Amino acid sequence: MSKKPTAQPVIHKVIMVGSGGVGKSALTLQFMYDEFVEDYEPTKADSYRKKILLDGEDVQIDILDTAGQEDYAAIRDNYFRSGEGFLCIFSITEDESFQATQEFREQILRVKNDENIPFLLVGNKCDLEDKRKVTFQEASERAKQWGVPYVETSAKTREHVDKVFYDLMREIRARKMDENKTSNGRGKDKSKKKRRLCKIL
Amino acid sequence: MAPPPIVSGLSPNEGPPGTRIKIRGENFGNQPSDIVGLTICGVDCLLTAEWKSPNKIIAISGTGKGKGEVIVSTKYGGTGSCNVTFKGYHLATIGPMKESAVWVEETPLFSWGRHSLSTTSFQQEDPLGLSIEETENKISEDFLINHFAGKCGDITSTNFSPGWFLLENHQNTSFNDLSAGLVHLRRKVQGQKEGQLSFLKANIGSVMDQVDTLVNIWEKYDSDLPKLGNEPTLKLEKAIKESEREARKLFDEVLSRKDRAEKTRNALNVLQRFKFLFCLPCVIERNIKKGEYDIVINDYMRVKNLFLKTDVPVFKDAPSEIDKRIEELQKKLHQDLQTMPITVEQQKRLIRYLTNLDSPFDAAWDAIKSRSDYIIKKFKSIYEYHKSTEKPEMDKKKGSANKFAKFNNSQLIEVNTVPACVNFIDEICATISEIFPDLWKIGQAYFSGELQVKVEAGRQVEYKYMVMNVIESFCKYIKASIIPNTLDKADRNQFGTLTTPERDEIAHYLPELLRSVRSSYSTLIRLDLPNEALDIIGNLLLDLRIHCMSILFQQTTEQIKQLSENWQIQYNGKYMGVTDLPIKFLQLVEDVIQIVKESALSGEQRESPLLDKPTAKKELEKQVDSILSAFHGSLSTLSFSEDLEDGEDSSPVVSQLIGTPVSSQKTSKAKQNIPIWEHRLLITLSNCMFTKSTILDTILAKFKESGFPSVDGCVNNAKTKLENLERTILDRYLEQKSDPLVGTIEPSMYLGRFDWDVTVSPTDIRPYAKECINNLINVHAEVIGVSSALLDNVLTRIVETVAEELYRVMSCVQKFSRQGAQQARADIQALQEFFKDYTSDAAKGHFAEALDVVPKLENSEKALVEDVLRQCKARMKIQLMCLRKT
Repeated sequence: MSKKPTAQPVIHKVIMVGSGGVGKSALTLQFMYDEFVEDYEPTKADSYRKKILLDGEDVQIDILDTAGQEDYAAIRDNYFRSGEGFLCIFSITEDESFQATQEFREQILRVKNDENIPFLLVGNKCDLEDKRKVTFQEASERAKQWGVPYVETSAKTREHVDKVFYDLMREIRARKMDENKTSNGRGKDKSKKKRRLCKIL
Repeated sequence: MAPPPIVSGLSPNEGPPGTRIKIRGENFGNQPSDIVGLTICGVDCLLTAEWKSPNKIIAISGTGKGKGEVIVSTKYGGTGSCNVTFKGYHLATIGPMKESAVWVEETPLFSWGRHSLSTTSFQQEDPLGLSIEETENKISEDFLINHFAGKCGDITSTNFSPGWFLLENHQNTSFNDLSAGLVHLRRKVQGQKEGQLSFLKANIGSVMDQVDTLVNIWEKYDSDLPKLGNEPTLKLEKAIKESEREARKLFDEVLSRKDRAEKTRNALNVLQRFKFLFCLPCVIERNIKKGEYDIVINDYMRVKNLFLKTDVPVFKDAPSEIDKRIEELQKKLHQDLQTMPITVEQQKRLIRYLTNLDSPFDAAWDAIKSRSDYIIKKFKSIYEYHKSTEKPEMDKKKGSANKFAKFNNSQLIEVNTVPACVNFIDEICATISEIFPDLWKIGQAYFSGELQVKVEAGRQVEYKYMVMNVIESFCKYIKASIIPNTLDKADRNQFGTLTTPERDEIAHYLPELLRSVRSSYSTLIRLDLPNEALDIIGNLLLDLRIHCMSILFQQTTEQIKQLSENWQIQYNGKYMGVTDLPIKFLQLVEDVIQIVKESALSGEQRESPLLDKPTAKKELEKQVDSILSAFHGSLSTLSFSEDLEDGEDSSPVVSQLIGTPVSSQKTSKAKQNIPIWEHRLLITLSNCMFTKSTILDTILAKFKESGFPSVDGCVNNAKTKLENLERTILDRYLEQKSDPLVGTIEPSMYLGRFDWDVTVSPTDIRPYAKECINNLINVHAEVIGVSSALLDNVLTRIVETVAEELYRVMSCVQKFSRQGAQQARADIQALQEFFKDYTSDAAKGHFAEALDVVPKLENSEKALVEDVLRQCKARMKIQLMCLRKT
């Protein structure tokens, strides 16, 4: 790794969270492969990684697409620990999924122990306007309360799909730069600590 | 060279061996065969790889353990790289208490965990270090038991007996070997002892510690005894129990959660795997609505193959639901199948659907049956419809019949409406041409096996019956409406009858109807129907043709009867003095021959010439006969009618000397166009002759030319009849003419008290002779005015009677004076001279006899007579010329 540090681009680790069936995988696959999958197949835990150009800089995005089903709740902590940024998805056609975002938010904050972790509230399925159950107003208010951006997307029409990922990555990048600036020394320490953590896991 | 494949996505990213992984990325080749390698965590999984697209492969993970890469190799891209990792783990590392991101199949876990301690795994080593021999003649166990009472050969047993052991295991081992074994054993024991000792020596410290600890424990125990009583573990036990309960509490929660999750997962799995099955009822319904029966059938077959034999109750529900739908579909299709009208192709398709759906219906047969029923029903409905339209017409007819003469009435109807039965037949013919072929086609398809339906025995016969029935009822409907007399009474009742219109009315339509039926017939012939069926229609056609022919002839007969004479004589051709009548007659006959020939006579496909049939021939002869006799009748009516009308003044030619009005004056009195009766007689006579000699032959030729069989008999018959008529007319005419002419001779002779005993020498012939000549000229003029051909006949007969009368009158004379004799001779000779051209042998005889009665003359007297004659001839030159044949 030390041989060619420039060759290997920075990796931004993004985690998709949200209730089952809101379209986490659909958003991911749309972003990754420009395809829209109509069949619903509950996700267990999927990994994706690809090189992209973020504001002229080569970076890699690592996406962990998690399971939305309640049954997996217990194992989420493990995932969340490794995440650098979160896309918290709900479906605008399902109020329950919107209510669940509160829980996800709390869990993430608890695990990361960081109020300012890069985080986007995403209302998916905005193409199904006629079935809308969660108003833009409502969602925006919650985002505001959390101090995070709110974006509405459609995995089907690809509306705002790139935007949410890129926005999140910019936040992650900005945050990493901040960290480097404020504590150059501690950064190393942290990474060491992290590695140990991984080992234990 | 294509770019190397890159794996950029895994779903899921961890799992035990056997996990189905969706591998996404780029450059996975363009077809399944492009994939030449796939490793997951270093384990080759190419066998399970399933190429989906250049971006997606599905594979099943192998036994690779820990985090590892998924590497895809393609034919053109070489070995690829991987951005993501897969974590493989073994089931043993996962228990009910271990958190895992993937579902773990736990059932096999328990069997894996259950280590069975098989006896073979515990291999006891021989204490002597010798191989245990395979002795064939083993010392029996009984012997050993007896010999070493209370001992045994088990080396671990307390009652071990070396003898037993050696006998049992090393019976055939040589002494040397046994010695070596002993050394080995000794060494082993020695080693053990030394080992123990050296171990103790090495660890003396800790051993001492242990001893001290044991002492301490014992002391502690002693001191605790009074404090805690004899059962110091009781509290411990309680604590263990407590902790067990607590653990169970914890465990129960986990277990129940696990169960719940398991259930959900199972349900999801089942739904996923059998999505097809559970969605099928909806899909079927949707496809039925869309009319995509092929898809429905396909799905249904699939479900049947997949789930028919299943014992899982859930799967039984869905198929029963599907079956319900399918049953409904079958019913619907079956309904459609029998709903007419429908094309054969549609029916075939529906039959195929039904067959594919394993419907309980005998679809093909039902289709045939329903078609046949449909045709019969259609016939019936057509009939009913026309029956209903007929009613008002009938009323109208009855109403008008009172007002108009029959002739007018029929014409009126003709103009206004086409008779119901004509419409009916037209429609029924069109119908059979239209729908019967379908019945036949589907029947053929059924029996030829094209429908892929098993043909049941006996169906052939039934089908044949069906076809025959259809055709028969078709024929009977037609017969019932046009020629009901050819049907049995029972059939007539069954098929009902439409009122057959008047003959005049139907005659116009018959050829057309015949054409309709024929066109249907030819349609059926084209279908290659069995002869039996065709013959039915063949017979119908024959009947129709005969009927048509006879109706046409009858109509002509009627028309001939209606022919009226206009008495306009046509002066042309060989036969002068012929009116339009015979020409019209000829025209009518020719027309009817033409029509009959065109419509009925000529045989079309599968039709024999009509008049080969004896019945037809008889009918023809009868009709020709009646036509000819109709004309004969009308001629004779013409010659005898109006007798009464003119009867009073029917003595046209009376002596001018008496001074009665001349017949010619009567023309003005009579109706303008109609000449006097004698004239009419003459014209009719002329027509008669003309008909006999020319018209009949022309007709005969026409018949022959048109392909009718010979009607010589009829024509000859007619000729004879006409001849008779001619004679009668002639007689009448002569009676009319010669009687007065002859009758005037005697009175005129003795006019003015003339006596043949005169003394005056003759200077001229007597007036009576002149009158006679003039009268004859008169007749001559009249006859020639009509036709010169009649002259011979008429005048000769008159001259004959004149001669006879002359002879009678002469022979009655009592006395001739010389002068009287001269006068008489001159008169007779003059008449003889004048009438020379029209004198028959009989007349000659009469003249000669008359001359004989007159006394003979002297030569000088003869000269005088000659002189008188000469003078007379000179004077009456014009009259003489009149009576000369040119």
